[in-house]
Amino acid sequence: MSILNFFRYISLRHIRFQKTQSIVVLLSICLGIATIVSITIVNRSVLYSYEDTFNKMLGRSSLQISGPETGFPENLVDKVLKVPGVEYAAPVIETQGILIGAKEHSIMILGVDVLQDNQIRDYSISGESADIPDPLLFLAKPGSILIPRSLAESEKIEIDQDVQIQTVYGIQKFRVRGLLNPEGPAKAVGGNIAVMDIFAAQMAFGKEARIDRIDIGLYRGTDIEEVQHHLEKTIPQGYKITTPAGRTKQVQKILSSMQSNIDLIGYISIIVGMYLIYNAVSITVVRRKKEIGILRALGATRSQIIKTFLGEHIIIATVASALGVALGILFAKAAVGAVGEIISSMYMRTSVSEIKIYWADIFSGFAAGILATLIASLIPAFSTANITPILAIRSVPYSEEKMLTARTVRMVSILLVFLSIVLLIFYKATKFFPVFHNKSIIFLSVTAILVGISLSTTDFLRWVLTFFQRFILPLFSGSPRLAGLNLQKNISRNAVAVAAVFYSIAIFVSSAGFMYSIKESILSYTDSVVRGDILVTSGHPLSVGSQNIPMPVELGKEIEKIPGVLSADPFRKTYIDYSGKRVVLLTVDVARRLEYSPFMFAQGTHDEMVKLLPHNDAAVVSEGFASHFNVVPGDTITLSTPQGPVPFHVVAIIVDYMSDVGSVLVDIDTYQRHWGDMLAETFSVRVKPGESINTVQEAIMKKFGANRKLFVLSGREFKEESRKLIDQTFIMHYAVNIISMIIACFGIIVALLASVLERTREIGILRSIGMLRSQVSRVVMLESVILGISGGVLGSLTGVLLGWISLDGFYRVDYGASIAYYIPYMYVIWAIIISAGLATLAGLYPAHRAAKTNIVEALNYE
Amino acid sequence: MIELKEVSKTYTQGIKNIPVLHNISISIKLGEFVSIMGPSGSGKSTLLNLIGGIDQPTSGEIFINSKPLHGIKDDELTLIRRKHVGYIFQFFNLLPILSAMENVGLPLLLEGIPLSKIKSKVETLLQKVGLEGRMEHRPEQLSGGEMQRVAIARSLITDPEVLLADEPTGNLDSRSSEEIFNMLKKLNAEGQTIIMVTHDSKAADCGTRLITIKDGFLASDKKLKEVRA
Ligand SMILES: Nc1ncnc2c1ncn2[C@@H]1O[C@H](COP(=O)(O)OP(=O)(O)O)[C@@H](O)[C@H]1O
Ligand SMILES: [Mg+2]
Repeated sequence: MSILNFFRYISLRHIRFQKTQSIVVLLSICLGIATIVSITIVNRSVLYSYEDTFNKMLGRSSLQISGPETGFPENLVDKVLKVPGVEYAAPVIETQGILIGAKEHSIMILGVDVLQDNQIRDYSISGESADIPDPLLFLAKPGSILIPRSLAESEKIEIDQDVQIQTVYGIQKFRVRGLLNPEGPAKAVGGNIAVMDIFAAQMAFGKEARIDRIDIGLYRGTDIEEVQHHLEKTIPQGYKITTPAGRTKQVQKILSSMQSNIDLIGYISIIVGMYLIYNAVSITVVRRKKEIGILRALGATRSQIIKTFLGEHIIIATVASALGVALGILFAKAAVGAVGEIISSMYMRTSVSEIKIYWADIFSGFAAGILATLIASLIPAFSTANITPILAIRSVPYSEEKMLTARTVRMVSILLVFLSIVLLIFYKATKFFPVFHNKSIIFLSVTAILVGISLSTTDFLRWVLTFFQRFILPLFSGSPRLAGLNLQKNISRNAVAVAAVFYSIAIFVSSAGFMYSIKESILSYTDSVVRGDILVTSGHPLSVGSQNIPMPVELGKEIEKIPGVLSADPFRKTYIDYSGKRVVLLTVDVARRLEYSPFMFAQGTHDEMVKLLPHNDAAVVSEGFASHFNVVPGDTITLSTPQGPVPFHVVAIIVDYMSDVGSVLVDIDTYQRHWGDMLAETFSVRVKPGESINTVQEAIMKKFGANRKLFVLSGREFKEESRKLIDQTFIMHYAVNIISMIIACFGIIVALLASVLERTREIGILRSIGMLRSQVSRVVMLESVILGISGGVLGSLTGVLLGWISLDGFYRVDYGASIAYYIPYMYVIWAIIISAGLATLAGLYPAHRAAKTNIVEALNYE
Repeated sequence: MIELKEVSKTYTQGIKNIPVLHNISISIKLGEFVSIMGPSGSGKSTLLNLIGGIDQPTSGEIFINSKPLHGIKDDELTLIRRKHVGYIFQFFNLLPILSAMENVGLPLLLEGIPLSKIKSKVETLLQKVGLEGRMEHRPEQLSGGEMQRVAIARSLITDPEVLLADEPTGNLDSRSSEEIFNMLKKLNAEGQTIIMVTHDSKAADCGTRLITIKDGFLASDKKLKEVRA
């Protein structure tokens, strides 16, 4: 018989007749692929949107000079112009504003030099004044802006209409002088942009005499590198001179570190998917033993049988991978907007409205599906070679197929767990093995322990069943006994279902574990640091993202004038470049803070903080900063300021979770002196003893709320907001967790369905001698719940351990050793409830199938 | 008393109708030992399945002790199978995961009665079929004849009104077959109503009545012996 005939008469028929099983396998591969593909596409799309934004924003300029985020002196332009080869140097303000229309709408403010910016960027308008050669000339009149036509349409704004924009100095009116056609900057950040004269932008956004960037154009034929070289010598150190491509690379770096955790979960869902495929193929082999025996007796060769099995699953995998890619694209479409928002709020504004699909990603997703299937089905397919004609005809329908002996599995399991422990020890022994102190070691350790323990599910299930029979069963009588026996009979297959649940629950609990710990740590940190009675911010309390327009420091003095206010001191958070990393620069009024708000120290004491006081160029750094850059108290770090590099004395190491790269804290006076920035994001307000916080809160709102969008939160409300923000940061984790749970559900369904199908005859017998439909389905449900709870319990225990390892390996390095590990008891309980619940759900269909078994046919079934 | 009135059975396969039994009317009194014979494919098993409540007739009525088996809910039918009918199959149909004892006790286990309570009854039945030394054996550790004897013991555990046997010796050698027939004869002598499908005309002779089925029709029905009431 040729392979084609095999396909036609055997494979296709099996796929058709075992529709449900084929569909379940198909779906699980499909979901795994969809996860990976959608993550890749979302990554690409976000990156592409940045690249696209850069291209549109940077126009024809060949080089850009950027400095501290708070801006740098504009007279640097003159120096740049003197460098040979530079044709023009256009100063730019690029900052955030909020367009206040029917809804509040965060927009990018682009302040440009009206006279020369059209050399770099394209602006055009159509309509009545289309004959004006340069639309930028409209901006010469004070208080004018240009907005994209698309924004005008969506916000229902007309030409010559006044719009309100929240600036550093409160809400101000601007007149729309023209609607830009969708090209150049008007198409960047999804069209959420307003162009204004650079001087107007400086005045409105607290950047008097300062600029954010210089875009440089060169004469034809000039060597870019030569100019770059020359510029480096001309301008102070600490400035960045980049090409547009260089900027994209920076973003890529930041994004990649952010996405690696999510990728990890995606890959684990593929592993779970492979587990399922392995399981499905093994089941098919066992079920079709008799058929294989007959075929072999009729003269089919071993290789023909193996090829048939692999072929069948490749057919399924092809369909599944294609569907998975399609579903991944859909997922990506649905998620890309939200992900763009999250990244915008964490890094810099972008707007991802459409996804970017590359053939290479589609192809690799597709290939991954087929490859995973092939690998997973190899062992069971090859085991068919052991089936002899006699074995099939003798018909021992209930024998357990032993692919790997129990002893080998146990050995591998123990070895892997052992390996994991060894890796951890190496990781921990930083002093002796610095090479091993990196995240990939932790990654290996985590993987080893996961796979290791998943291999022990057979033993664990056996143990659970013994427990079940000894302690639970005596409470019942009759049919539940069958459940235990059935599970025991095919223990290693059922162990695979347990392993599927185990994987997803372990991941769920471990991520819950470290998220919970981080959250608790941040909250207890917030508790100790945020001692103000009221916090006044212009944006979301914890982010400097797109929604937060800083306020002038002077506003603090105004707040203090309100009756009942004891003090209002500023807090400023910006980003600076340190050794190529983007670290947080925190600024507070140290003297004030020392009065009421204790700092949390990792190294050093309260007394050292005094050294931060005015006129000392001293700083404290976070644990994360200290560990990333190997800094100890007494060291000197050099920070880049608009005036060039300035050495700072590190006096202590504090606990701070503002950034995963690290943060530096300096006194506000020091900050203003070096950075020339007179803004603050937040004011921490203390209320005089005996005064009502509520009344003061309302008074602040009344005095300033009309003129600017303001959040006036009590300490408690602020902490509530922090909690929400932390949850939002982990939203991607939750999403991927849900997908891995769904895959685990499929795991249970596959295993149960197989065992129901395999037991068709047995169920027929039971029904013929008087077992009720409800009894049949109850037995199957009970089996499902036992499998679910076993996986849930083992997964939770492992998850607690993994959570600790992950926290230690992935987060403590970045945020600081003082993050305590809290065992997430609530989540453990939830995990077990969820696994029992999911198992019940997963058992429904197989139970239904079992109850529906046709007795007459079942008795004839072999 | 088992009554079949105008019972017909038609299978449907897709759009095709396959009539298997046509207007069968039989009445069987308690204590009878009815043998059913007929060529292969004539509908014997189908008939037995209908009497045993494993399958439902397309039309007609079936009663066991005046309880209708037709047109009732599956759960009711299941309980009739469990309590009033004993079934012996050609392929034994024992559960391989259970021991002989557990297999025999299974119908009562389904009832929710713990094994400890029925142990003595199970042991008595296994003794009766001559398997007192095989209580803990699992089916695969038994010979065909022994497996069928376990199946007989199982069919008797609920003291059923009627014992149905579908070619109980079809898979056995002649010696084992004889043992099984003798056992059935003995049961009938004790008053057990038995309906047995068989190919073996010698075996059919041990019954009290012989029914022949041909192409789904009742071909003949004759009394062989007086029933000892
Ligand atoms: N589920 C079914 N679907 C269609 N035809 C069936 C089905 N079960 C049995 N038959 C047909 O009914 C006829 C009688 O079968 P059966 O009662 O098993 O015969 P036997 O007398 O050999 O026991 C046969 O021709 C068989 O092909
Ligand atoms: Mg038959």
